[in-house]
Amino acid sequence: MKIELIEKIEGEAFLDVECKKGRIKNAYVRFPHYRGIEEILRGRSPLDALVINPRVCGICGHAHLHATALALEKLVGFGPNEKVRKIREITRFCEMVQNHVKWFYLVIFTTLDLPYDFRSIQAIIQKINRLSAIFGGQWPHSSYVLPGGITCDPSVLDIVQAKRLSNQSRELLEKLLGDFELKNLSGDLRRLFDALDAKGLLYAGKSLDRFITFGNDSYVESFKILSGKKRPAKLHYIEEFSQPKSRAKGVVYKGKFYETGPLARTMQRGERFVKQLHRRYKDSVTTRIFARIYEAHLLLKKIQEHLQTLDIGMSSYEPIEIGDGEAIVAVEAARGSLVHRVCVKEGKIVDYSIITPTQWNLANGRDGEPSLIQTALQNARCEESDIIFRSFDICSVCTTH
Amino acid sequence: MKPKVVWLQGVTCNGNSHSFVNLSGLDTLLQRYEWLYHPILPSSLSLMQLWDAKCDILVIEGGAKKGWQKGEGELEKLFLHLAQKAKKVVAVGSCAVYGGVFKEFDDTICGVLFDGENKSRYYDMLADKTINIPGCPAHPEWIAFALEAENPSLDSFHRPKELYAYTVHSGCVRNEYFEWKIDAEDFGTKEGCLFYKQGCQGPFTHGSCNKILWNETASKTRVGTPCFGCTEPDFPKQDLFSTKTYMGIPATMPLGVPKRAYLTITGIAKSFHIPRLTKRLLDED
Repeated sequence: MKIELIEKIEGEAFLDVECKKGRIKNAYVRFPHYRGIEEILRGRSPLDALVINPRVCGICGHAHLHATALALEKLVGFGPNEKVRKIREITRFCEMVQNHVKWFYLVIFTTLDLPYDFRSIQAIIQKINRLSAIFGGQWPHSSYVLPGGITCDPSVLDIVQAKRLSNQSRELLEKLLGDFELKNLSGDLRRLFDALDAKGLLYAGKSLDRFITFGNDSYVESFKILSGKKRPAKLHYIEEFSQPKSRAKGVVYKGKFYETGPLARTMQRGERFVKQLHRRYKDSVTTRIFARIYEAHLLLKKIQEHLQTLDIGMSSYEPIEIGDGEAIVAVEAARGSLVHRVCVKEGKIVDYSIITPTQWNLANGRDGEPSLIQTALQNARCEESDIIFRSFDICSVCTTH
Repeated sequence: MKPKVVWLQGVTCNGNSHSFVNLSGLDTLLQRYEWLYHPILPSSLSLMQLWDAKCDILVIEGGAKKGWQKGEGELEKLFLHLAQKAKKVVAVGSCAVYGGVFKEFDDTICGVLFDGENKSRYYDMLADKTINIPGCPAHPEWIAFALEAENPSLDSFHRPKELYAYTVHSGCVRNEYFEWKIDAEDFGTKEGCLFYKQGCQGPFTHGSCNKILWNETASKTRVGTPCFGCTEPDFPKQDLFSTKTYMGIPATMPLGVPKRAYLTITGIAKSFHIPRLTKRLLDED
């Protein structure tokens, strides 16, 4: 048994791998930490969760903020207007885009020893976060979304600046990546493909080929894909289970493991580029990596669309009274579906639980059924474990909230 | 020889690492140092190699906790090992400075020099060389300042005065409403001050959020979000979206202002009706 420390991810994780004759026979993922967010929330006023929950994670805290506001709104059956919905999506999509870009270059390109243009990458990250800050005040750790709406009241000037930043980010990214045409790749997409090919990784990391998304927004709907069939997914079929030696719980849907994240979302949307890849390479590292960076491109287009059609004359906020009750919601974060469940009694939070995307993708198997990551690693060459593991993108801090 | 930097994480959400990546001209700053370890940015060593590394500047993000695993070793041991070698220690973010938000779950978590408001067990050993950059997260310009500055003047919490002598209120675009004591009736508007009802802690929180803008563009109060006092040792307090009041005025006074002075000014300000400040800002003719 070999224990690998996977570092320079969002936090750290351990991967215990058993290698025989150069092939992985068994793998087990452990997260060593726990920070107690759910305990911190207990006894606090519901609105405090809008400040505490973004601190679950420095890279996807905005998705946690969004989920918190949705959960509190669901308690009273409130639904925000179109302007609020669009602005919330713009800032959440910004967070996803910068996440994808960081991971694609700083994690994947680094792992594959590929050079990249750091100055341009950082300029994209900076611009996209700046766009988000026009509405959210800052990134990371904004608390501008609250039940009833958003705190900002954007002006025409704000929208003009936001449009310029989205155009610049998209241009910069397209220039680096080249076109999303599988037969005619160029730029960094070509370099990535060739590197995977040269290292014999094109088909590595194939897993269960099951996908799930729970978010409902203008980009995705709540669906699962099992044996190629698409069916609506319902939150109440989710089940969490404890894992020995790890501080993170695993998650299954109706007893089965599913992959969540950009590959699941783009498959669900039936994106041609991703389906072409999937036809040839199934749910391998290749499809997973390309799907994620393709999603950055899709989301940037979505941000531009929203900015074009935004009616800033609508109100930003309607006062609502948070009542007692229980609510469960999901939003899409960079790495996949994020589930928040809140229970409020006598005006205080009595229970809060969070299920993060990494809990789906990096759970360990149970009852003899191997999980996604275990299936992906099964029989892989031992030296491939790192790139396969990272292709799912671990958010250890989220998972050990 | 470029100074060697290690950026080490304790009990953290990684928010400061990501905040730092937003720095304008980051590549120019990065080139001035040799980065031995950073959790996200390009760096040459792995955690286990840090035990033998020469470290000139140690950046700490996150709180310290006994028994917290760091790689195959223990966080506290690695932290002290590096801190003793370093010429300068920079505690980045409120968790590294005071213990921070996760201290609410586990009170044994502490900062480099402070455990909440009190001196930590490392204070005597590290006080001479430590600069504190609290904030949740810390602003990237503040972090860059701490890396670059030589012997900056510090306040009693070891925060550079240049950054923390201001309050978050300084430079807030809602200042006129504060001057005339006109509150924001609700969230989601450009008008009104958030100090009276919405819980804004800007007037008594040390920080330059409205002087050195976030993402070079905004701040919480500029987008109508109250300041939550995240640079202070008591962050996060309770009931963050409402103002505690005492006899109709905010219970906590603007920094250094006696209650009597504040009451007098409020009485006078409120006795005038300023039409411009009671209308929608952009509806003004």
